[in-house]
Amino acid sequence: VDYQARRVLRRRSWLSAVACGVSLTALPAVARADKADAEAFASPIEVHAFVSQGFIKTTDNNYLADSKRGSFEFSEVGINFSKQLTERMRVGMQLFTHDLGPLGNYRTRFDWFYLDYRFRDWFGLRAGRTKLPFGLYNESSDIDAARVPVLLPQSVYPVSNREFLLALTGGEAYGMVPLGSAGSLEYRLYGGTVFYDTADATATGTNIKVPYIFGARLMWQTPIEGLQLGGSAQKLRIDAEAVLPEAQIAQLKMAGQLPADFSGPIKLQLPALLSVASIEYTAHNLLLASEYARWRVALDSPLAQYTIPEMSSERFYLMAAYHVTSWFTPGLYYAATFSNADDRKGQYPPAGAPAGTPPLGWGAYQHDLALTLRYDLNQFWLLKLEGHYMHGTAGLSRALNDNQQLSSLTRDWGVFLVKTTAYF
Amino acid sequence: LGGLLGQDHSVLLSRPGAKAMTQSRFHSPYHSLRPTRRALLWTVLGMCTLGNRPVRGESTPPFRILVHPDNPANSVSKDFATDVFLKRTTRWSDGETARPVDQRADTGVRRMFSESVLRRSVSAVKRYWQQRIFSGRDLPPPELDGDEAVVGYVLKHRGAIGYVSVGAKIDRAKAVSVQ
Repeated sequence: VDYQARRVLRRRSWLSAVACGVSLTALPAVARADKADAEAFASPIEVHAFVSQGFIKTTDNNYLADSKRGSFEFSEVGINFSKQLTERMRVGMQLFTHDLGPLGNYRTRFDWFYLDYRFRDWFGLRAGRTKLPFGLYNESSDIDAARVPVLLPQSVYPVSNREFLLALTGGEAYGMVPLGSAGSLEYRLYGGTVFYDTADATATGTNIKVPYIFGARLMWQTPIEGLQLGGSAQKLRIDAEAVLPEAQIAQLKMAGQLPADFSGPIKLQLPALLSVASIEYTAHNLLLASEYARWRVALDSPLAQYTIPEMSSERFYLMAAYHVTSWFTPGLYYAATFSNADDRKGQYPPAGAPAGTPPLGWGAYQHDLALTLRYDLNQFWLLKLEGHYMHGTAGLSRALNDNQQLSSLTRDWGVFLVKTTAYF
Repeated sequence: LGGLLGQDHSVLLSRPGAKAMTQSRFHSPYHSLRPTRRALLWTVLGMCTLGNRPVRGESTPPFRILVHPDNPANSVSKDFATDVFLKRTTRWSDGETARPVDQRADTGVRRMFSESVLRRSVSAVKRYWQQRIFSGRDLPPPELDGDEAVVGYVLKHRGAIGYVSVGAKIDRAKAVSVQ
């Protein structure tokens, strides 16, 4: 990561901190407009926190971390502060730091900070840095205590995409519209940008920006208590620059793929449209959930070798969990990822690849069967054990596997995870 | 249609036209399903039954739901109570701000209330709130220690709604029925 990118990042962090500070300083003034209400609704600052430590071991292939040897680079710490300023207005922020293999590296950041004003149950506004409402669990994907599995189905919630998919800086409109005997409809509409942390070791581009992201989520709370159905869609574009070695640039100029006076980095654009359909049923001790997603992504650049036509990946999972006793909850899920919905078996080379490239093979898909045992040791401490049987390597990072082709990695492999979390 | 309680197929026995349904069973969509799909259907139905199993003693709930004495409501529906305790709804029908109050998660009365009214285990409700708290969406109702504290809270706030054990002294608080 170059010095410039770090400087930009540092500046953004400072900007975020200053914006957050100014917001919090200004809020009491805003709140005075509702002073009587505030007095009637006085509440203390709520503080909640969590700390997690995990261990990951794979039988073959490095997954998320240097996992073949076994890795403890799997930890998260978060603390948040929220205050209900008036009956309708709330403010909050969360500091978060994590480490997962090459990701995170304990850089502390504002995970979210917001000002929320709920005019009515059916209409509210939030501004700041807020979690992206995408699918059932994207907003809570960092929170181990809020779910049964250690790893949410990685087909729909890949941790490697956390920086792009978790939070946006901008605004959101939300509400819950009653539908009488037909239940109710929760809507979320949002737009803004994503500040991407280029300090992540897996980033292959520099000066990465997200000029826009917008989307919506609709969840229908059906008349059957505990059953909700919904859909989410979001559109974004990621802009980046790839710095090529001088020798390669000279070669491209000679081949006529770059103009003779070309200098500087190659500009890349990744337009993406992500959508997911969701269903969840929660009743008494049972949780059933399933989601089906399609992600359409392309890569545009002035160079043919850095151009990929729009491709649609397919992702889904089925999940169940049952709360057997107050301290024991087993869970099970099956998840599948197909990096190209038109080539589920990997019979063809990757789209846009030069002639002679071998087919993707089992690098085109990943089937994941996971079993979790969650033990709630007390109200503030839990322990999870989880095993995965994996078939295919589509979700793996080449950077973590000596830049080997995904099809040359081991096809059938296993993952074992242990994780403990304390929270309040 | 067995001899044990719970084995009767009440839908077939009680609904008008049950005979016709029985006679035409060989042409029903169910029988046209492939065995694997039938197995899947029974698995899903079984899971739903498991999830919907009634709580023992549901007919006489071992708790009382309390509201402020000035609250005009004499009863609340389970759906409304669920929406209020999960903060999907923030107001009573008269416009007053609803202020739910819980008891500690390890108490019997909380477990009974959660299973009977919210139709979720306390753990499921806690997971719901963990998701909301750590994603910055909302904060759970306050958790108070014991019946006395809940009664005090309800008497202090006009929009409050809480629950206490059946034998608890409720002072001037108003007990409402659940429908």
